[in-house]
Amino acid sequence: MREVYVVGIGITSFTRLEYPLSEIAAYPAMIALKDAGLSKVDHVYVANMGSARANHQTGLASAVVDTLSLTPAGAEVIENGPASGASAIKQGFMAIASGLHDTVLVTSAERLREVNNLEATDIVASLSHPLAEYIYGVTLPSLAAMFTRLYMQEYGVTERHLAMVAVKNHDNALLNFFAHLHEKITIEGILDSPEAMTNNPYVAEPLRFFDCCPVSDGGAAVILATAEVAKQLNKPMIRLAGVGQATDTHCVHERAEPTDLLAVRGAAAKAFQMAGVSPSDVNVAELHDAFTILEIVESEEVGFFKKGEGHLALERGETRLGGRLPINTSGGLKAKGHPVGATGVGQAHEIVLQLRGEAHKRQVEDARIGFTCNFGGFGNNVVCLVFKREN
Amino acid sequence: MAVDLEKILRPVDNPVPPFPPKYMMLAGGEEMVIRQVTREEIPDILQHVEPLIHVERDYYDVVAARLYSELLAYYRYRVQDEYVLVAQIDGELVAVVNGRLLSKDVGMSYHTVALRRGLRVGAHAFATKMEYHLDIIGQKEVLIVAESPIGFRRWMIEYELEKRFQIAHELGGVPSWALTKELFNRARATLVVGRRPVPQHLLEKAQAAILPPTDPPKAPADLLAATRSLYDSTGTALMSQRWKQEGKA
Amino acid sequence: MVLEIYAYQCKKCGQLHYPFRMVCKKCGNKEPFEFDTVPLPKNGKLLTFTTVHNLPPDFNVAKLTLGIVELENGMRITGQLKVPSPKIGMAVSGKVEVVREAEYSKNFGMVFYPA
Repeated sequence: MREVYVVGIGITSFTRLEYPLSEIAAYPAMIALKDAGLSKVDHVYVANMGSARANHQTGLASAVVDTLSLTPAGAEVIENGPASGASAIKQGFMAIASGLHDTVLVTSAERLREVNNLEATDIVASLSHPLAEYIYGVTLPSLAAMFTRLYMQEYGVTERHLAMVAVKNHDNALLNFFAHLHEKITIEGILDSPEAMTNNPYVAEPLRFFDCCPVSDGGAAVILATAEVAKQLNKPMIRLAGVGQATDTHCVHERAEPTDLLAVRGAAAKAFQMAGVSPSDVNVAELHDAFTILEIVESEEVGFFKKGEGHLALERGETRLGGRLPINTSGGLKAKGHPVGATGVGQAHEIVLQLRGEAHKRQVEDARIGFTCNFGGFGNNVVCLVFKREN
Repeated sequence: MAVDLEKILRPVDNPVPPFPPKYMMLAGGEEMVIRQVTREEIPDILQHVEPLIHVERDYYDVVAARLYSELLAYYRYRVQDEYVLVAQIDGELVAVVNGRLLSKDVGMSYHTVALRRGLRVGAHAFATKMEYHLDIIGQKEVLIVAESPIGFRRWMIEYELEKRFQIAHELGGVPSWALTKELFNRARATLVVGRRPVPQHLLEKAQAAILPPTDPPKAPADLLAATRSLYDSTGTALMSQRWKQEGKA
Repeated sequence: MVLEIYAYQCKKCGQLHYPFRMVCKKCGNKEPFEFDTVPLPKNGKLLTFTTVHNLPPDFNVAKLTLGIVELENGMRITGQLKVPSPKIGMAVSGKVEVVREAEYSKNFGMVFYPA
């Protein structure tokens, strides 16, 4: 397998965008192409989840490749629910590692805000099992809430820990120009004050408003290429060193152990093995915190902390900017935003920025190994990526 | 002569108890004061509502235009039994709510405009309006409409309002919903928030002046082409990346 | 007429599945439709639950309680709860009722009551 390098990155603001969907995918692609100094690529992957339903657009990749005037390069949409982004990067990785292509553009876009909030909730709820979950009114927050309740009972995670994740990520996002939410929140305001119940109402008990990420539009792009192409740039060589994926049962109630996220564990293990590093080597990570509980649990399942101790590390400040292992320096999905299909590429964008040393006020000192975890469905399809700075 | 004409043209307000100011902590830790304003302060508010008439998204334009006319009518004594409440953080105007008393028992909610996004400012202000009608004045129900889908979701569905579609709301014949005292009591725990009395220093700051909003909703730079970020209506987020690559900073 | 929710039992090895699978997860039996239908038991204990406030369309209520129940035979099912004060571990008993209604469709599913 050939080595694969990230040679260009681009991103839009994650917010409400009123562009057509193909332009949301094209804009960051253009920036990434400029970043890489390329005017053509061999192949294009576009990560997206809801285009057919929310934006009435199928065959998105065909639209994007033409909008960028990259025809006749091949192009496909990669859909893997919220893990579409990392899955598309994985496809790009495979194309280059196998020798089939030398340069691949992986872009992504999501525009769920084209429809109203009820419709968007329903589109995301369609990730659940149609006969055993969806019909009951199951939404993603309800699945996360049931999981959270069990986790609280078994490991002693409290609403305060969840609020701490939200506050940390909001603080990080204040330093991120492209983040969706630039809102300072405090534990007092969302949990302790007498008005907390109105400031931070329950969405699906015990998860509250500030435990759930917003609905964002946005897009991000990375360009993957061979070592030869990467050497020609005057930039640090960032290698996509490890790629891992694992799946689990579709229905959340069928999981072997209701408090485990085995797909996260398996995907992370494979990614670390391929990269030849272990979790303790990671300097900076972007974990999929669509719900604040997930940041805590994923930090355990990928191997940063022992099972059931993620919230203790959070308490000790290990995962904030300046801590031993900053997690979600971009603000995470909670504050940076969650354009569902594009999130995985957005995570990669942040890690590459960190490894290149271009993260300004969010910079983790001497970041050389970065990790992303992109969580599809409710933990039934997870893709993890490991990035290494080579020079 | 002018004085007599004014007597005919000017409606006579019924006596109502004033709104006792209250304060609450928002998600970001700031303290917001909600108080009633009198006619003298209306011009201060009008100047901050006017720019919203030109923000053509999220129904800001139609809501601001209607609010402007209601505030102006109140100021010029051409509407009966209207009240105006404002929400301030550190003196800065963050929300305006208004309504009027249709009769002794029925209130008519007019508008709720939040001049700072997020942090549930609008939700707090709306709930306070309901508290004024139902708890303080002691009415039996309040008629409500929603122009924006966001308002609809928040108020009609969350509070399970009763349909009153046969009554045309004063705002323009759109279907009315009603918040009855009974529904209000049921939702009291989440609806009636805030504490009284307001600490002296907070109240003084709020009463001293109505300061301009620091981050009001703005019109998009270019309806068709610009990246319209909530916090970046100029599209700088994308352009800045391009500038960086072109060496322009 | 008492309605049931069915589990699918592999004809070769007897492994129960809920919901349906095309391939037996234990013995890999791939013979098309070599599964028997077996009604799920109705009694069990509550594993976890939540009260959802932000509901999808089709639901005209303000909130809804959902739960995962571990049934008597060890299998688990997601269902709606009509239990006033749910607690993890409590005994519940289910009935198959209408759980979701849209304009032209009705969905039946398990609703759990206190046992």
